[in-house]
Amino acid sequence: MVRFFLGFLVLQAVLFGAELTPWAQRWFVLPWTDSLAAISADVVKVFDPGVIAEGKVLQSANNGFAVSIEAGCNGVEATIVLIAAMLAFPATWKRKLAGLVIGIVAVQGLNVIRVISLFYLGQWNQEAFEFAHQYVWQALIMLNVLIVWLLWVRTLPRAAIAPVPG
Amino acid sequence: MRGTSLGGFVLRVAVWLPPAFLVWYMAGPLFAFPIGLLTHGVARVGFADIVQGVEQHGYLITIVSTLKATFATTENPAGGVVSVELNALLYSYGFPMLAALILAARQPQALRKILLGYVVLAPFVTWSLMAEFLKRVTFDIAPSVAAQAGFGPLQREAIAFAYQFGALILPTVAPAVFWVLTHRRFLEGFAGGEAAAQKPSQ
Repeated sequence: MVRFFLGFLVLQAVLFGAELTPWAQRWFVLPWTDSLAAISADVVKVFDPGVIAEGKVLQSANNGFAVSIEAGCNGVEATIVLIAAMLAFPATWKRKLAGLVIGIVAVQGLNVIRVISLFYLGQWNQEAFEFAHQYVWQALIMLNVLIVWLLWVRTLPRAAIAPVPG
Repeated sequence: MRGTSLGGFVLRVAVWLPPAFLVWYMAGPLFAFPIGLLTHGVARVGFADIVQGVEQHGYLITIVSTLKATFATTENPAGGVVSVELNALLYSYGFPMLAALILAARQPQALRKILLGYVVLAPFVTWSLMAEFLKRVTFDIAPSVAAQAGFGPLQREAIAFAYQFGALILPTVAPAVFWVLTHRRFLEGFAGGEAAAQKPSQ
């Protein structure tokens, strides 16, 4: 457990530090965020055609209301936490890879729901938007990461878990 | 330990989360008071050269600096010393999340764990508040204010990292880590007896 936590904390710090570099921002974070806005717009268009995505901005063509997806709302940090937790946990690489693929999809899936819900919440009530944006959704996304990790740990068969020396 | 229901646990978390958020929000000034005192102590001990006082109004904590606003800014229209208002709630929403997780786990001494969690997490909130204060005087208010603070390039990088880490990672990860550490036996149940075969050291 101690080794897992140390590994988790180190990996998380390294990945987070890497995320903040200009190179990662330009080639990974911004395209990721733009994609999130585009996917959110595609989902919304199923029931509300008057929505457009431009870069990291999701905008209503009807009333002009827009949300810009910024750091902390693009799910990158939540994904970093999940990656660090899965990589640090004693399991085979095959299991880790499978867990990461499914886990990242799950975390980003909820993040799309966050963006869409905030987009409509903001059009309805600014105070409710601020409360949900600043407090509630942040906690829900991390709870999602925790639950995905618990589910993954639960699926690990004895044979898949790499031996822990010491 | 075997057979702990993840579905039941998630459902209980969902049930506990709304009241936990309600209590945390309504009692925000109460929860923020010790954090304000801690921030005051850290500011006076660690940053005495640029901080002259810390004031608290509910969950808003204002750090009054010794830095002069040489021209009027939106934060200091009179052009006096720079003071930075910080929202303690912005960095403490992990408390209701932690409370919901602890209560949903239905383990012994839940209230004690919640109180211990508050004591353990309060310094992380203080970290985030101080990091935001340093970030704002260094990057946001005015170049003349940043110049008075006198931080070098490496220190500016460290402040930027501390702020980002304090804003984006610590508020949610610290409570999650605390919960995992205080519920290791409960978590063994989630491992279905297989990951638990690892027998992590207690």
